Amino acid sequence: MSLLNSYKNAISSYDEVIDQNGQVKPYWKNLFDTLEAVGFDGLEQRNQEIISKLKENGVTYNVYNSENGNNRAWKLDLIPFLIHENEWKNIEKGIKQRAHLLDLILKDIYGPQELIKNAIIPAELVFDNSGFLLPCFDIKQKMQNQIIIFACDLARGPDGKMWLLDNRVQSPSGSGYALENRTVMAKVFPELNKNIYRKRLSPYFNHLQQTVATLGNISNENPNVVILTPGPGNETYFEHVYLSSYLGYTLVQGSDLLVRDGFVWLKSIEKLERVDVIIKRIDDEWSDPLELKKNSLLGVPGLLQVMRLGNVAVINPPGASVVENYGLLAFMGAACKFLLDEPLILNSVATWWCGQEKELKFVLDNLPKLIIKKANRKQGFKTKYCRLLSTSELDELRKIISENPKDFVAQEEVSLSTTPSFIDGKLEPRLASLRAFMVSDGNDYKVMQGGLTRSSSVKDKFVISNQLGGISKDTWIVSDRPNEYFERVVVRKSQQNQQSNSLTSRNAENLFWVGRLFERTLSLNYFLKIVLNRLNENVNDKGLKQQTYLVVLLKSITHLTQTYPGFADEDDESIFENPENELFKLINDPKKVGSVAYDIQSFLNTANQISEKWNADTRRILNLIEESLLSLKDAHSIHQLNFRLDKLYTRFFGFYGNVFETFPRDNGFYLLEAGKNIERILALVSVLRSAFSFKNDEEVESVLMEAVLENHHLLAQYRHIYKSQYSLVAVLGMVFLEKNLPYTLTYLLNNLGECLSKLPKNNDSNRHTDDEKLVLEASTLVNLIDAEELVKVDEDSQYRSKLDKTLEQVFDLISNVTGSLSNLYFNHSVLQHSFFDSIEKIDSDEI
Amino acid sequence: MRYKLRHQTVYTYEEAVNNYQSVLCLKPRDLPSQICNSFDLEIEPLPNKVYTRKDYFGNAIAYFSIHESHKILKVVANSEVEVLPKLLPQISPYTCEEVRQILKTNRPLKIEMFQYQLPTDYINWDDEIKRFAETCLAPNVNFFEGVQLLCAKIFTEFQFKSGSTNVNTPLKTVLKERKGVCQDFSHLAIACLRSLGFAARYVSGYLETLPPLGKVKLQGSDASHAWISVFVPDMGWCEFDPTNNIIPNERHIITAYGRDYADVAPMRGIVFGSGGHKVHVEVDVIPVE
Repeated sequence: MSLLNSYKNAISSYDEVIDQNGQVKPYWKNLFDTLEAVGFDGLEQRNQEIISKLKENGVTYNVYNSENGNNRAWKLDLIPFLIHENEWKNIEKGIKQRAHLLDLILKDIYGPQELIKNAIIPAELVFDNSGFLLPCFDIKQKMQNQIIIFACDLARGPDGKMWLLDNRVQSPSGSGYALENRTVMAKVFPELNKNIYRKRLSPYFNHLQQTVATLGNISNENPNVVILTPGPGNETYFEHVYLSSYLGYTLVQGSDLLVRDGFVWLKSIEKLERVDVIIKRIDDEWSDPLELKKNSLLGVPGLLQVMRLGNVAVINPPGASVVENYGLLAFMGAACKFLLDEPLILNSVATWWCGQEKELKFVLDNLPKLIIKKANRKQGFKTKYCRLLSTSELDELRKIISENPKDFVAQEEVSLSTTPSFIDGKLEPRLASLRAFMVSDGNDYKVMQGGLTRSSSVKDKFVISNQLGGISKDTWIVSDRPNEYFERVVVRKSQQNQQSNSLTSRNAENLFWVGRLFERTLSLNYFLKIVLNRLNENVNDKGLKQQTYLVVLLKSITHLTQTYPGFADEDDESIFENPENELFKLINDPKKVGSVAYDIQSFLNTANQISEKWNADTRRILNLIEESLLSLKDAHSIHQLNFRLDKLYTRFFGFYGNVFETFPRDNGFYLLEAGKNIERILALVSVLRSAFSFKNDEEVESVLMEAVLENHHLLAQYRHIYKSQYSLVAVLGMVFLEKNLPYTLTYLLNNLGECLSKLPKNNDSNRHTDDEKLVLEASTLVNLIDAEELVKVDEDSQYRSKLDKTLEQVFDLISNVTGSLSNLYFNHSVLQHSFFDSIEKIDSDEI
Repeated sequence: MRYKLRHQTVYTYEEAVNNYQSVLCLKPRDLPSQICNSFDLEIEPLPNKVYTRKDYFGNAIAYFSIHESHKILKVVANSEVEVLPKLLPQISPYTCEEVRQILKTNRPLKIEMFQYQLPTDYINWDDEIKRFAETCLAPNVNFFEGVQLLCAKIFTEFQFKSGSTNVNTPLKTVLKERKGVCQDFSHLAIACLRSLGFAARYVSGYLETLPPLGKVKLQGSDASHAWISVFVPDMGWCEFDPTNNIIPNERHIITAYGRDYADVAPMRGIVFGSGGHKVHVEVDVIPVE
């Protein structure tokens, strides 16, 4: 049986593939022909390719409260959702009308309120609407349309007609995922649209860019545009990063922006840059803690005032969420008649607001057939599908509704069409819904020729939410005529265009810490391997005293990682009888601060904060490092760990190599390099101090010298010059002073100084900044040493005071560079407090 | 009566602050019964610009930000206000039940009043508050007199105790502990009224206080004050002061109307900096002959 026939047999209700006359729609037939030609094995293979491509591109959707971390890989079905352009034209008319209508409703609610006065919509649905924000009533943006971006969810009923299920206004998401779906599909399955002409998605984004440019042009010829994200914890953070790269807008968080002198400014490490347009991906009430939700750390205090002055445009303006209220869906027809004097082209799914007597009675009488929602979104109320409820649950629900009927909305549970989906190696009919996207050009809306289709993760149920594991689909608007086809390829920020993008103080700090945490992990990893090798060469019977040099080396690890007491416990030497336990924890316990696993975790967290800075290859390596982290966590023996550390080491070097080869030589790069050098110096100095501050037997010191030389990657050079004679004077001379060997202190300090000199200066560019002075002082100390002096020992205590003191000074000086850089460049990270909260300290209102 | 008003707020920070954003609601309103003859703000350190606007309720709002490093912020609002004597119109004969019906059935009125009937973050109620309200506002009681009863009940049964509550003390606690300040009593009275379906709003302003007999009035001895405004059909918005159990007249100066304190807080701000801060407020209400 052909693929198409077997699919037809599986259909149990109205399906997208079949037209009104029971015939297979011709474009679906073409698609099935291609699927047939590829065959099931081929499809399964493409499916795997899609999965790995998405993973490689880091496409995720964060799921709140999930147990296994919160990054969920984005799911993309290899079967697209197809709509013919003739049908699409009608849908377009309907959703454009809806966008216009909501825009007019929005302007009326924050304006003359004619809809309420004329009893078109109930006052309750405005004044008791959590999206109605009083401080927004006097904000009008200069374009005619206030709603600039609009998205709505559509689904097809059994009669073949499209229904509107939901409106998305305050920060519509999904357009980036739609684009990424198309891009991945085009790469993995290029022949799928054989004999099918499909429309392009890119014009939508071009329209968006034009609108943004127009909005920005009001104040600036080269508008500075930012995408304001809540940060990596947000469910659609991938999309924020993706759109920022694709559209060329800087990705910022609230703390990157500052209101001053009636404008919004971006805090970059060089200067404040005026911001003209903000594409807002945080919810309305969080956008300005001064006038809205006062404990919001996501927004920009003073933003609303700048909007009132017309000095910044926000897409979409705060306050727009008022029209997202579910209760309003019941009044769309009347509002359309009132405001546009025409009937709705596209019907909303039948909705009853329980705040009216008649409607309430209807809802209570017909409850088992309905879906119950709260009128206001985000009230922690899970949509109830009443058909699935027991009698007692229904009674309980009736009681809840009757107590506060105004809070509730009932919707008809429409039976929707199914569409073919590739599930577990089979083609199955699944319920689906389509999100359509529109952008205003100021007066009119342009519709994306495609969209984001999501199909149900469960058979016969309508569970399309990404939070609940819905599967997305590429969406094709099919045409009978060929259109000039090409997709704009998404280029991640490359060297050329990155320079034009500002480095925010927050990103500057993150890059610096990426450098530090990268090197922290790397140096520890390297030193651990040195120690593990020594340990393996000298397998000890349990209970026997460890060799002195091993004791010194193990203690060095504790000092290096600052995981006290560890091996440095003066009172308890029993730890040396079985050092593997502690070493195990030092490598794979992610909860132990200072362990390898902990460092990798911190490194990845920081790197993910700035994922827009990494190119595709770097991101792939970051994924590999994450895998390494997991493999460390479930290693069972030191031997296994040792092996996996090797692999990790290579991957870390891969990360750095890729960054080093491709990163633009801008401030961000020099900060990353500075971080790396600081951490390397600190790590090397720490080990040097632990190894040689107290003199040991000559034999012991020989082994230590060899280990230290290895730690500095100098063993080969040393042997070349001095053969196998270990002299501390010679070792220190080399480790401190050799200018051309990359792991010596003098080389690293020079390198660090050079990085710092490249960074912008606030004042006189001919003078050293504080951080440079610290490095200069350390460098002078190092360069002026006399190795003979350093090795001198106090006969009683065996303490090498000169050596220890010098190294301590270098360590402290370099440690202080971070603080000094913070003062200069990372000043954004001050805490924000609301005065309103602490009003109890005010001795007012006392009459 | 004519008054000179001075409202001074001084914030002292433990650590220097480099970015401060603020919204003020300090200017006395112009009303049929009150004229604000002059108003000015002194702010130290001096902001580059102060932006003024009217909010949704018609209150005068000032916004400013400060970007120079400072450890002390001082805001002084000076104004001259003339308060005209108010003649109490004839008390409307409606009972509580009648008022409730009017608010339900008169559409234009319902739309206008609706926002003053809803709970807010600071004004919400449970059955206990509702029962407390019902003791004064029984269905067949004259509504205006019922509100007076409610104010008298709060005045006699509650202890005025400054420092016993803060802005986040829930009304439940105020009702249970029977103590608070004018802000709590106003919120409580409003909650009582709204719990029974009436419309009431929050009034922020000042009250001229008199020094003890034979003593000179001390500088800074006055304070900002709060009371309530209740919608009574045929009479319009009527003010009541539950803290003092009086009907506000010439000695009450009105700064702002809102749904609750949050709408009309005299000063709110966002400060960027670590460390705590102290606040000191001084208010003078000086009668001018």
